[in-house]
Formats: sequence, structure tokens, C-alpha cells
Amino acid sequence: MIQLHAISKRFGDRLALDQLSLEIPSGEIFGLLGHNGAGKSTAIGILLGQVWPTSGHAAINGCDVLRDRRGALQGVGAIFETPVFYDYLSGQRNLEILSHYTGPTSPDRIREVLDWVGLSSRAKSRVGTYSHGMRTRLALAQALLPDPQLLILDEPGDGLDPEGIHELRQMIQRLHRELGLTILLSSHLLTEVEQVCTRIAVLKAGRLVFTGSVASATRYQGWLRLRTDAFAEAVAMLEGRGLIAEHRNGDSVRLGEGVGSDAVVRALVEQGRAVYEITHEEQTLEDFYLAVTGGETNPAQPGTSGGLQNDGEERRA
Amino acid sequence: MSLFWHQLRNELWKLFGKKRTYIGFGAFLVAQNAMLLAFRFSDWQSGTVRLLEGNGYLAGDYISALTVAVVMLIPQIILLMPLYACLVGGDMVAKESEDGTLRMILCRPISRARLLAVKWLAGLVFCVILVASLGLMALVFARIWFPWGGMFVFVPGPVRVFAVLGAWEGLGLFAVSHLMLAVNACTMFGLAFMFSCFNMKPAAATILALSLLLLSLVMEAMPFFEEYQQLCLTHHFRGWLLVFNEPLDWLRMLQILAVLAGVNVTGFLIGLAGFHARDIKS
Repeated sequence: MIQLHAISKRFGDRLALDQLSLEIPSGEIFGLLGHNGAGKSTAIGILLGQVWPTSGHAAINGCDVLRDRRGALQGVGAIFETPVFYDYLSGQRNLEILSHYTGPTSPDRIREVLDWVGLSSRAKSRVGTYSHGMRTRLALAQALLPDPQLLILDEPGDGLDPEGIHELRQMIQRLHRELGLTILLSSHLLTEVEQVCTRIAVLKAGRLVFTGSVASATRYQGWLRLRTDAFAEAVAMLEGRGLIAEHRNGDSVRLGEGVGSDAVVRALVEQGRAVYEITHEEQTLEDFYLAVTGGETNPAQPGTSGGLQNDGEERRA
Repeated sequence: MSLFWHQLRNELWKLFGKKRTYIGFGAFLVAQNAMLLAFRFSDWQSGTVRLLEGNGYLAGDYISALTVAVVMLIPQIILLMPLYACLVGGDMVAKESEDGTLRMILCRPISRARLLAVKWLAGLVFCVILVASLGLMALVFARIWFPWGGMFVFVPGPVRVFAVLGAWEGLGLFAVSHLMLAVNACTMFGLAFMFSCFNMKPAAATILALSLLLLSLVMEAMPFFEEYQQLCLTHHFRGWLLVFNEPLDWLRMLQILAVLAGVNVTGFLIGLAGFHARDIKS
């Protein structure tokens, strides 16, 4: 559905995107992560034909955005971080205005999307009187107007309260489930991305540092939490027998090559040590994100110590 | 084509939905009534009577609503009209860019050229309505205070106009002069619109356009530049006065219209080139 090929963008001396290549197939909810200034909005701007790339090309549904912007954006809806409208006009009038930039839109379709986002009762009110949550819903309505196959959401949760974020999450999942939309979601809200997205890409200073499934980013990395008597003596024994490769923090071990956790438990029990807990450690998306972007990492997490398991789909630079 | 009209109608909704669009209309209303009071209760009338009678006319026939309406137009056209035309022109693209609505528009499959064309046309419609209102208000308010009668137009200076006309002939030329004024207003709007297409604040676009007009006015008035007056844009804004001259200099009128049309098209193309090249970011 979306293809970015070797896209670079330079603003003066600053390289905002550096050889970004990314493919997003149809039907996915794809998360685009990165710090402020990492290049997420620039990438989205290039996809929408709003920002000219210095090199490379972008395509949506096989249509080159630079050469055939009209064709590329025919089935695309987008929302940006701050939902802005013509405050002095009604919600319905705003939708009428925006819809005609795509093509003729019937009043029924406008009523339908207003109903979909739950704004029918306030359709005739001036947008200036809307709350932030209502504006976000109106933004979603305008994005849905052209009956898109692809929805691009650039930081849509910014400024929303917890209820608003929850509502937005439900809405995104509903859009994906009921309308089968492909969704590109750029967000700082990692817990939302973790709950909603199927795959993610992480940008750092304009470079792609990871792309893969959310599951692969958060899955078990080979570390086990081990609670036993005299941890230091226990790991020394386990290392001596080649059952563990390394340990850390006084409560985690990584198994040796081809060793199962049952072998570790058996060895400890044979030595007469009590085993209170042995469980796989999983990292949150936040831990993973901080690890790959070089942010502060939780010392209990594995991001800094080892590579990701390669399941053949993810790529980490 | 019908989509284009829908888009143009939408631009007009946006334009005329904003309160600031009406500042110009309000200012004209206040200025005209202030001037009318001054005309009614000052010695303007006696000066005009002297001038007419000195030329052998019966002055009483020409101290009329039409004469006053034209006299009132001059300061408003020099000072107020550029301000309000440029204010709207400067807002047209730059305000949408500043507010973020431009980004929302441009995530839709409309080309930048078409978007600008629609906005530009909406601006021209605004200019025509502004000028028509200016003339209509001037005439209506002047009629409240002054009788209906012949028209007397006297403008000293480089574009010397001295015309004494019957009421209906005067009214016809008054209407034609407003067509020329509308072209002037469109050109002023077009200048600000051109700057507005670049990456700048709306106020900056307005100020740049006004500065350019002011510079042209100053240059044109300097004795050293008399030979180069043709190069000053404001020199070509005087066509609306030439309408009242007898006989009408058609060639000069066509020249003026051609120059102003050229300036408008060039301004639009420069704006389009700037707008096309720029990145639209939040």
C-alpha cells in the first residue's frame, strides 16, 4: 500500500530523513515511532505530497506521489496532531468544504461520517464551540469522507485526556475492524501503539533503526527471571555446568545454547536449592523503543545487551 | 467544472465567514459618513461653486450626490482600498498556512495550482464586491445629504480631469469607473496574494504589498522619476479617473488594462512558483 524508497530530505544543513525505505502492506495498523525531529512528520509530509524529498520516491497504491499526487491521494485520509478547522463555520460546513477538495460528496455521506464519529447532534454548531475531543472526532470524520483505504494519523492523541485517548484507540481499532482500513499511526504514546499496531518502524535522527512486528519488539529475548536461594552461588554453579550464558541484576539469567529452563530447575533442585520463580522476561514497547533510540533504558531490560531475535521480517540498523 | 465551482463557492464561504473580511466594508461606511458630514457642514461647497461658476456653469446643478460620491472616492481609493485589498490578499494563503488548515487541505488530491487558482478567483470576487459596495454606499449616503443632479469631476495634477456631465451620463461613467477600480483592487489584492504564497506570516505579506504600493506612489511623485512613471504600478491605477475625460482616450485605457492584467498574471505565476516549490509543514 505504501512504499518509501531511499527517501532523503534536507532542510538547509539539517538532514531530516536519510535514505528511508519502508513498505507498509494493506490491512495493517502500522506505527511510526521516533523522538521529536526524528523525521516522522517529514516522512508523512512526503507521503502526502506536502514536502518535496531531496531524493528517493514515495508511492501509495502503486501511484508515485511526486508524479501522480492526485492518483496517489485518491483513497487517503489524514489527521494531524492539532485538529484545526475554520472555527467560525459549523462542523458540517467544514466537512462540506474539505470534501470538495477530493471530489463531489453527497450530503448523505457527510451525515454518515458525522454519525460514525458521533457528532451528528453538534453538526450545525460552530467548530469554535467544540472541545478538543470533538475536534479530533471531526478530524477523523473529514479523513473518512473520501471513503479512504488508507488513513494517516500524525500524532492524533496529542492534547487528549485519558478518556479521549481511550476513545481514539477504540475508534482506530473499529476503523480497522469494520472498514478494513490500512492505518499509518505516528505517535509518542507508546502504550497506545503497543495496543493498536501490528507493526512498527522506529526512526532516529532521520534514519530507520528498526522495522518489524510489535510482537517481535516486545517478545522474550532469551532472559529468564530466576528467584532462588543464594543467587550468586546458584549462577556460579549453573555457569560451571554450562546451563546459563550470562546473568544480571541478581535476578535474571540467559540460558546456554540449547538449554531448556527445565534443566536449570532440575540442577538447582538437585543441589537442594529452593526455586521460587522462573519465568520468561518480556520487555514493553517503551523499553524496546528507548533501547533502540539510545534513550534511557531500564537496566533490567535486555535492549542494550543483546540483539533481537531475527524472525526474518524485522530489520534493525 | 462543477467541482471547480463548488470549490470556488467554498472559498467564498471561508472568506465571507470571517469577521475580518468585513473590516473594509465597515471602514468605508464610517469614512464616507464622516466625509459627508465634512462636505455638508464645511466650505467645500462654496469652493466648488466658485470653480464651476468661474468656468461658466450653473453651480447649483452640480453640487449633487454624484459629485460628492466621486470626491469621496479619491481618498478612500488611495488610502483605504489598498489596505483592505492587501489585508485579504495577505491572509488568503498565509493565514491558512499559519492556522494549519492548509496542511489539511493539501492531504487531499487537489493540485496546488488549482487550489491557488480557486483562492485567487475568490479574492477577485471579494475585490469586485468591495469596490461595488464602496461605490454604492458612496452614492446612497451622498444622496441622503445631497440632491440628485449633474456630475462635476475635477482632479488637478498629472492626470488632469475636468468633466461636467449630466446626471445619467455621470451615473453611467461612475459605474464604468468602478470597473476600473475593481481592476485596481484586484491588482492590489494580487500583490499581497503573491507574497502570501511564500512562507511568511499573513501580516508580512500584507505589509510587503502595501510597502511596494507606497514605494511606487512615492517614486511616481518624485520629479526625478517623471520619465519613468510608466514603471510605477500606481501610475496605472489612475485609469478610473480617465473614464470621466471627454473624449475618452481608449488607447490609454487599453494600455492601462493590459499593464494591470500583466501585473496580475505575473503576480499569480510568481506566487504559484513559490507555493509549488515550498514544503508545507506544521
